[in-house]
Amino acid sequence: MGQAHSESLKPTPTPGTAPRRTARSLRQASEPRMSLNLAPMIDVTFLLLIFFLLTTTFQRAEGVLGANLPQDRGRPAVALPISPIVIRVESTGPAPSDFALAIDDFAARPASFSELSGFLVDIRQNEGFDEDTPVVIVAGVDTPWEFVVECWNAAVRAGCRRIAFGGEGR
Amino acid sequence: MVVSRVTSWKRRPVGFNMTPMIDVVFLLIIFFMVVSKFASAEHVPMELPQPEHSQARQVKLRDRVIINCQAAETPAGPQVLYRVGPNPPETLEQISSRLARAQAAARAEGRELIVVLRADRRLPFAEVRAALEVVRENEIQQLRLVALVGEGE
Repeated sequence: MGQAHSESLKPTPTPGTAPRRTARSLRQASEPRMSLNLAPMIDVTFLLLIFFLLTTTFQRAEGVLGANLPQDRGRPAVALPISPIVIRVESTGPAPSDFALAIDDFAARPASFSELSGFLVDIRQNEGFDEDTPVVIVAGVDTPWEFVVECWNAAVRAGCRRIAFGGEGR
Repeated sequence: MVVSRVTSWKRRPVGFNMTPMIDVVFLLIIFFMVVSKFASAEHVPMELPQPEHSQARQVKLRDRVIINCQAAETPAGPQVLYRVGPNPPETLEQISSRLARAQAAARAEGRELIVVLRADRRLPFAEVRAALEVVRENEIQQLRLVALVGEGE
């Protein structure tokens, strides 16, 4: 009964014409739809991504090894009454492994910088040597800087606290 | 009946779901922004020493002057370029006067100047030693040698 009544209230479409639009549908059609334009954001985001992809180079971090220089000109970097451990490093060829290490007053000739570090630790166990015993690095004029830093690093690794550059090498 | 189904399929708007792509792009951008450390102009690109079991530590130093000793390949052969921070290459005499001014300014404020020496690992010791002599002549005691930090640091 009720259903028949409601259907009777619906407007009867005229054959051959478009259905009539209600007031609500007309209002919805006239109002602009709310939407978020993502295009500029995606543009900027892609630009940022491309910038980072192009400019980023992965690199190992660099750090510093402590070093002190003598206070007065012409004086040695370490107090000489204590006999220092003198490490001599020379380049013997163009290859990265072409170097010769020697320690004054010791017969040992370390074959690598790790061995040098271990040797310095052993020396410190002897009487009269400790971590404050000066370590002097004497390098030849043609010795690559890399080997000098390797020696310095080995001494720091061995726990030596007073490291200095010595006089002229060969 | 078949015709009407085909036409309705054709009229359906073609959608392109951008959400996963934007998610991935944002993740990439956040990753790069977090891991990026912009290189300082003071750190001139060069091959730094890379000691085994490196004891080099990353520290922030105040009142420091960076001396770069760069190995440059020129038409005349390999050459050493000395420069203080990002400045153009200078002679050791010019660097010495620059260090003297910096040392005087630091001492006027009661502080000690620190020299950070960055030298190319391939340079002969004699070339680096020349820079060390300049530092010593200016009675600067605080010196730091730059090397690459070890793996896992």
